[in-house]
Amino acid sequence: MGGRGVTATKTPISAPAEGRPDGRGGGKSRRRASGRPGAGTIATFITPGLALFLLFVTVPVIFAAYVGFFRWNGLGGAPTDFIGLDNFTELLHDDVFLGDLWHALLFVVMSLVLQLPLSFGLAMLLHQRFPGRTIFRLLFFMPYVLTEAVTAVLFGLIFSPSRGFADALLGAVGVDAQIGWLSDRSIVLFVVFGVLSWKFFGFHMILYLAGRQNIPDELYEAAAIDGATGWQMFRRITLPLMGPTVRITVFLSIIGVVQLFDLVYVLTDGGPFHASETMAITMYEQGFQRNRIGYASALSIAMFLISFVFALFYQRYVLKRDLAGGLTGSAASEGSRS
Amino acid sequence: MSRPLVRLRALAAAGAAAALVVGTAACGDDSESDADISWWHIQNNDPMLSTWEDMANEWSEDSGLSFDIQPIENQAFKDRMGTAAQSGEVPDLFQTWGGGVLAQQVEAGLVQDLTGKLDDCIDNINPIALEPYTIDGKLYGVPFDAGVVGFWYNKDLFAQAGIDAPPTTWAEFLDDVQALKDAGIAPIALAGGEPWTAHYYWAYLAMRLAGLDGLEAGAEAGDFSGEGFVKAGEMFAELVAMDPFQEGFEATSFGGPDGQSAHMGSGTTAMSLMGQWAPNSMATEAGNDGLGDALGFFPFPTVEGGPGTTTEYLGGGNGFAVGADAPEEIFDFLCYINQPEQMARGVEDGPFTTVAADPASLGVEMAPGVQMVVDAMGSATGVQLYLDQEYPPAVGGAIVEATSGLIVGELSPEEMVQMINEAWAEEA
Repeated sequence: MGGRGVTATKTPISAPAEGRPDGRGGGKSRRRASGRPGAGTIATFITPGLALFLLFVTVPVIFAAYVGFFRWNGLGGAPTDFIGLDNFTELLHDDVFLGDLWHALLFVVMSLVLQLPLSFGLAMLLHQRFPGRTIFRLLFFMPYVLTEAVTAVLFGLIFSPSRGFADALLGAVGVDAQIGWLSDRSIVLFVVFGVLSWKFFGFHMILYLAGRQNIPDELYEAAAIDGATGWQMFRRITLPLMGPTVRITVFLSIIGVVQLFDLVYVLTDGGPFHASETMAITMYEQGFQRNRIGYASALSIAMFLISFVFALFYQRYVLKRDLAGGLTGSAASEGSRS
Repeated sequence: MSRPLVRLRALAAAGAAAALVVGTAACGDDSESDADISWWHIQNNDPMLSTWEDMANEWSEDSGLSFDIQPIENQAFKDRMGTAAQSGEVPDLFQTWGGGVLAQQVEAGLVQDLTGKLDDCIDNINPIALEPYTIDGKLYGVPFDAGVVGFWYNKDLFAQAGIDAPPTTWAEFLDDVQALKDAGIAPIALAGGEPWTAHYYWAYLAMRLAGLDGLEAGAEAGDFSGEGFVKAGEMFAELVAMDPFQEGFEATSFGGPDGQSAHMGSGTTAMSLMGQWAPNSMATEAGNDGLGDALGFFPFPTVEGGPGTTTEYLGGGNGFAVGADAPEEIFDFLCYINQPEQMARGVEDGPFTTVAADPASLGVEMAPGVQMVVDAMGSATGVQLYLDQEYPPAVGGAIVEATSGLIVGELSPEEMVQMINEAWAEEA
C-alpha cells in the first residue's frame, strides 16, 4: 500500500520538472513579442567578454597547441625546432604522466565513492532541525574557506614524522606506530586524498544542503500521509530531486581532480618520487623547472583535451536535462522532446 | 524612444568594460617602474635585506641613479625569473647561480657580457669563484658568495658513538654510520622531499669515482655511461640500504621546523651533506644558536680506487647577472659592492662566504662555520659546480629526479644513469 502511495506522488513531482522548459519557452515568446534586441546591442554587450575570452583562453590554448610541436626552452624568441608529434608520443610513454592519469582516476573513484556520499550524508543530517545546527554548518564549511596552500602547510605539520599531531594522536590512543603519512609511497596518495576531502567536503555539502532545501515540504507531507517510510521518501523524493545537484557536484569534482595542483604541490610536491604527482605538477616541473616548455605545452594540451572531451560528453549525456533551456533555445527544445 | 537609450547604456557599459581592460593591461606589467635600475635578489631576510638596500642608497647618492629593489624568496625568485626570462624582460640586476641556467639566458641574449668591464674590482675576487659564471671564456656574472659542500657534523654525537676522528675514506664513513646507528643516533639528516639535497651524494661519488675529468668528458659527450657513474649509484644505494636517515626522510623538506636543517640544529641527527649556508640555516630553523662548538666540518671522503681527492669539492654560490638593457653605470655599482669594505659587510650580515681574493684583508671575524668553508676553499684544488646548476635545467632536473628514484628503490643505478642519458640526448 505504501508503495502505491509513493508511486502516486511521482506524478506531481515530475510534472513541474517537465513543465519547466515549456514555462521558459512561454517567457521567451513573450520577450520576442516585445521586440528582439538589435544586432548592434548584442554585439556591444558581447564584444568585451568575447575579447577577454579570446585573449586569455582561446589564444593561449592555440599557442600551447602550437608550441607542443616544438622542442623549446622558452627563451630567445619564437620556437624553431619543430619535432612533429614527438612530445605527444613521449607523453604516452612517460611513466610519470601515465602515473598521473592513474592517480587522477583513483582520486575520481574515491571522490565518487567516499567524498561525495559523505558530503551528501552530512547535508541530510544538517538539514534536520536540532540545536546548534548553524554552528555545525559553519564548522563543516570552514575548511573550504582556507586556501589550498594554507591547508597543505597545516597538514604538512600534522603529518610531520616523529613530532606531528597525527602520530601524537595515535600515540594517545595507544597505537605507537610511526606511520610515514607522506613519506611512505604506498599510502601517500590516500593521505593526500584524505586532505583533499577534508578541504572540499564542506563545499559539496553546502551545495547538497541548498539542493535539499529546494525540495518543497509538501511532497514529504503528501508521502507521509500516503504512509511512505523514511527510506522510501529518501529514495523516491529526495534522491531524484537532488539529481541536478548531484550531477553538477560530480562534474565539479572530476574537473577539480584533473586540474589539481596547489594543495598537492605544497603538501608533497608530488613525491616521494612521483607517488602523489598530478598532471599539473608534472607540467609545472617540466615547463618551469626544466625549461621544457614544448613538452609541458603538449602535456597541458592533453589536460585540456581530457577536460574538454569529458565536459562535452558529460554535458551532452548527463547534464542534458539539467541544462535544458539554460544554454540555448535549441537545447531547451531538445530537452523537452526527450 | 527607449531604444536609443538602451543603446546608450550598452555603449556606456561596453566603454567601461573596455576601460577596465586597458587599465588592467597597463597595471599588469609591474616589473617596469620609474627607477633607473631594477634589482631582484633573494636575501629577503634581515640583516642582509637592509644591507643591500643601504649599499644601493649609498651608491645612488653618488651616482644619482635610483633603484627598484625586489627581495624575493629563493624558490619564488626562480619561478618569477623563469617567467621574466620567457617574456624577454629581465631585471637590470638579478640573482644567478651561474651554470646551465645562465648559459641558456646568455644564449637567449638576455644578459650582458661583463668581460673587461669590471677592471676596477675584478682582482678583489677569488678567480675560482668566477668559474660558474664564465661561459666560453666570457664572464656573465659576479659572485658575492661562494663555498663548498661537505659534511657538517655534530662532534658531541660522534663522541657518543665512539668516533674520535671524522672519516677520510668511504669505507670509514660507512663504519661510522654503522657506529652511530649502533649508538641509537640517526646518522644522517636528509631532505628526501627536496631531492636536490640527495643529488650531492651521487655527484660527490661520481666526482670521486670518475674524477673531475670524467665528469667533464661525460658532460661534453652528453653521456654518463662511462666508468664511475653507475658505480656511484651503486655505492649510494649501499648507503641508503643501511637506513641511515632520520625517520620519514622521504617527505622531509630542507627548511621548516622538521626539516633537514632543524634536525641538525636541534641535535637529533649526527651529520648532513650541505653547502656553506648550512650552519646559519641550522640555527634559524631549529630556533636556537646552532651547534656552537659541537659543529664540525669534514670534506666528502675519498673512494678506494677512484681518482678523486678530498680537496676536490662540489660547490657554488650566489652571484649577480646584468640584464641586456641595463644602463652601463651598473658596472660601477657592481664594483662598489665588491670593495673590501662592502664585502666585509656581506660577511658580517649575510653571512656570506666571501669571494674576496684575500679573505684576511677584509678584517672581519667570520662565524666558525663560515671560516671552515673559507679554509676549505683556500685548500681546494678543484671545484665542481652543483650538478643541478652546472648542466642545462632538463639534465640537472633529471639527475635530481633519478637520485630520488634511487633512494626510494624505484630505480636501479643503471636505470638512473639511463634516465640522465635520455635527458642529455634531448639536449643534443
